[in-house]
Amino acid sequence: MPMEFNRMKKWQDKLHVCIRCGYCFEFCHIFKVTGWESDTPRGKLIMLHGMMNGYLNPSEETAEKIFECYMCKRCDAACSAKVKVTELFTDAKADFVDAGFKALGTVSRTDPDKCSRCRICILACKHEARVYDAEKDEIVVDRVKCQSCGTCVAACPSGAAYSREGYGLSQKELRESVKQFLEGVSS
Amino acid sequence: MILINEARSGKGRFMEKVNVQKIIDIVGENNVKSDPGELLVYGADSSVHEAPAWIVVRPENARQVQAIVKYANAGKIPVVTRGSGSGMSGQAVPVKGGIVLDMKRMNRILEINLPDVYCRVEAGVVDDDLNRALKPYGMFYPVAPASSRVATIGGEIANNASGVRSVKYGAVRDSVLGMKVVMANGDLVDLGCLTRVEASGYQLDRLMVGSEGTLGIIVEATLKFQPLPKFRCMGVANFDKLEQAGDAIAEIMESGCQPSLLELMDNVAITAVNKTMDMGLPDVEAILMFEADGMVKEAVDFEIEKMKAVCEKHEGSGIELSYDAKERTRLFAGRKKLFPALSMYKELLACTSLADDMAVPYSKMAETARKIHDIAKKNHVIMTAYGHCGSGCMHTKILMEPNRQDQWEDARNAVAELYEYVNSVGGTTSAEHGIGLSKAPAFKIEKAASLPYMHAIKKALDPNNILNPGKLQDAPDDWVKATRLRYQVN
Ligand SMILES: Cc1cc2nc3c(=O)[nH]c(=O)nc-3n(C[C@H](O)[C@H](O)[C@H](O)COP(=O)(O)OP(=O)(O)OC[C@H]3O[C@@H](n4cnc5c(N)ncnc54)[C@H](O)[C@@H]3O)c2cc1C
Ligand code: SF4
Ligand code: SF4
Repeated sequence: MPMEFNRMKKWQDKLHVCIRCGYCFEFCHIFKVTGWESDTPRGKLIMLHGMMNGYLNPSEETAEKIFECYMCKRCDAACSAKVKVTELFTDAKADFVDAGFKALGTVSRTDPDKCSRCRICILACKHEARVYDAEKDEIVVDRVKCQSCGTCVAACPSGAAYSREGYGLSQKELRESVKQFLEGVSS
Repeated sequence: MILINEARSGKGRFMEKVNVQKIIDIVGENNVKSDPGELLVYGADSSVHEAPAWIVVRPENARQVQAIVKYANAGKIPVVTRGSGSGMSGQAVPVKGGIVLDMKRMNRILEINLPDVYCRVEAGVVDDDLNRALKPYGMFYPVAPASSRVATIGGEIANNASGVRSVKYGAVRDSVLGMKVVMANGDLVDLGCLTRVEASGYQLDRLMVGSEGTLGIIVEATLKFQPLPKFRCMGVANFDKLEQAGDAIAEIMESGCQPSLLELMDNVAITAVNKTMDMGLPDVEAILMFEADGMVKEAVDFEIEKMKAVCEKHEGSGIELSYDAKERTRLFAGRKKLFPALSMYKELLACTSLADDMAVPYSKMAETARKIHDIAKKNHVIMTAYGHCGSGCMHTKILMEPNRQDQWEDARNAVAELYEYVNSVGGTTSAEHGIGLSKAPAFKIEKAASLPYMHAIKKALDPNNILNPGKLQDAPDDWVKATRLRYQVN
């Protein structure tokens, strides 16, 4: 899919500020759970760098990675090269949206069948990421504004607002990973 | 079903086939990645180099590593072992493509044996995590590279890492008792032993230290640890002239002091840290940080006072001493984060890991620092002088405009001139960060006499040249052209 970097282009000369030290690894809980370097801030910056310099074609897979971020900003705080990691990701997300990519990553979602249209989530969202689309009769989430904080998920009385699980945060997954670990140690 | 993954190098020069299904059968689908974005991420490290992997594979145990290596050896597919990719010279960059073997899932601490004073860990354990596990027992693994929060034990062994405490506790080499290694034919061998001394035979565990993944894949390591000292005292001294600091380093070492840390920062480094971290360090030509540690306070006092006196003799000023852990962290924060901070030195300048970790004899420290600045000036780049001077290691970085082609010529010249000097005073190309690609030309000059023997060893242990090919003695002669550079060069 062709992609214009209308917002990203201002970072073109600044992406090298990331010296790829990897100091951000341990601060990113997505990486801490998945263990894949492509989930680290550094990994994502490498992909963005590759896209902007023409040796990585923008794809849904890459977009998905960029949308997988809780915007906790721990990487921003930890990076002593002061790379504005989450600001960069936000601009990248907007460019992906403009180019028509469908990736959702950790962005919150709404199950229209469960949703009662009470709109509590719209009030609850501090980032003004949710609106009610009267035409579609649906809650619509702005993928760029959503910070994946989960407030809407907690506020929704109908269990309709949700975000993707799978970072090992559920009790079941945690138990499973502890079990696997112990089996590995004793084998 | 057999999936064939065809991946290209950045320039599309070659296309290689890996039987993805075969690999999935070994490690499971969840531990294989072949999306181009992933291949790019796993083709980069902390160096100036980049070359995409063909496939990324995450083994969970030695058996899986063996199976992958056997498969690769049969098909002559390169295997590039990877810890965290914090190497600074392109060691983990798959310059010839192939399978990147990500060891981070093998991160179990298997045993902490207090009576015999050793621990056994899998290769993917991160240095700081090991130290977190040892701390409750009053012990520590002393190598302490600045990158300890990210570097894996396997990566440290493969690079013979060292760090701020190496002046007293040695490099990785001095902490390794043994290891389990998967050889190029897939055999799993036990090297070394559990004792401090081992007299006879070819010490193959030592051969693996610093081999940068070219001779075998370390899956497990047995390391000795040290008791955590009860007292640590850090001192800082400022010097108006770089030479004064250099002379102080040489005299501290000569006078029989036993520092547990001896670090230098020059003015470029000081400016960078002040700028990014508002540390308010004095604007002098050099700062020396020194530390003594031990179980008896009087002994630590004695060492630290001796070092302080040497600094004073060489006109060190504004000397601060502290036993307090928080204060020590504050005094050292700038040094710990220096490399990232250099990246912020000036807009448009990138901080490149080049000529980054030579070592010279103590008596040449001051001269080397000055030489670094002279060479930088002559070649229109900015270079710093800092490092673990207590172990003879002088770090630098090249700050340059990476988008300008001519700056890469400047960098090439600066690197070559600096290593020529280092060689002439009996120094060495890499004290700790390894050779990989970017330091290979200088390494080959330095080790000219032993190169044929290194080639012979490589050939004997890895006849199909699958383990991290194209590195160390086999790396290209021009590092600038060895791979695509990680910067956009116009
Ligand atoms: C900011 C910064 C500061 C640093 N400071 C220091 C320092 O003070 N001292 C120091 O010594 N280094 C330092 N380094 C360099 C780097 O962290 C070390 O070289 C470290 O040992 C690399 O570990 P890694 O796990 O990241 O290895 P990688 O970069 O992934 O790999 C490096 C090499 O080791 C090989 N390798 C990795 N794992 C294995 C294994 N299990 N078996 C066989 N081969 C393997 C790879 O094939 C490759 O050749 C620094 C790096 C950065 C970015
Ligand atoms: S984002 Fe910051 S901390 Fe992470 S690799 Fe880049 S420079 Fe290092
Ligand atoms: S802001 Fe995103 S990338 Fe950064 S640490 Fe948090 S989750 Fe990870």
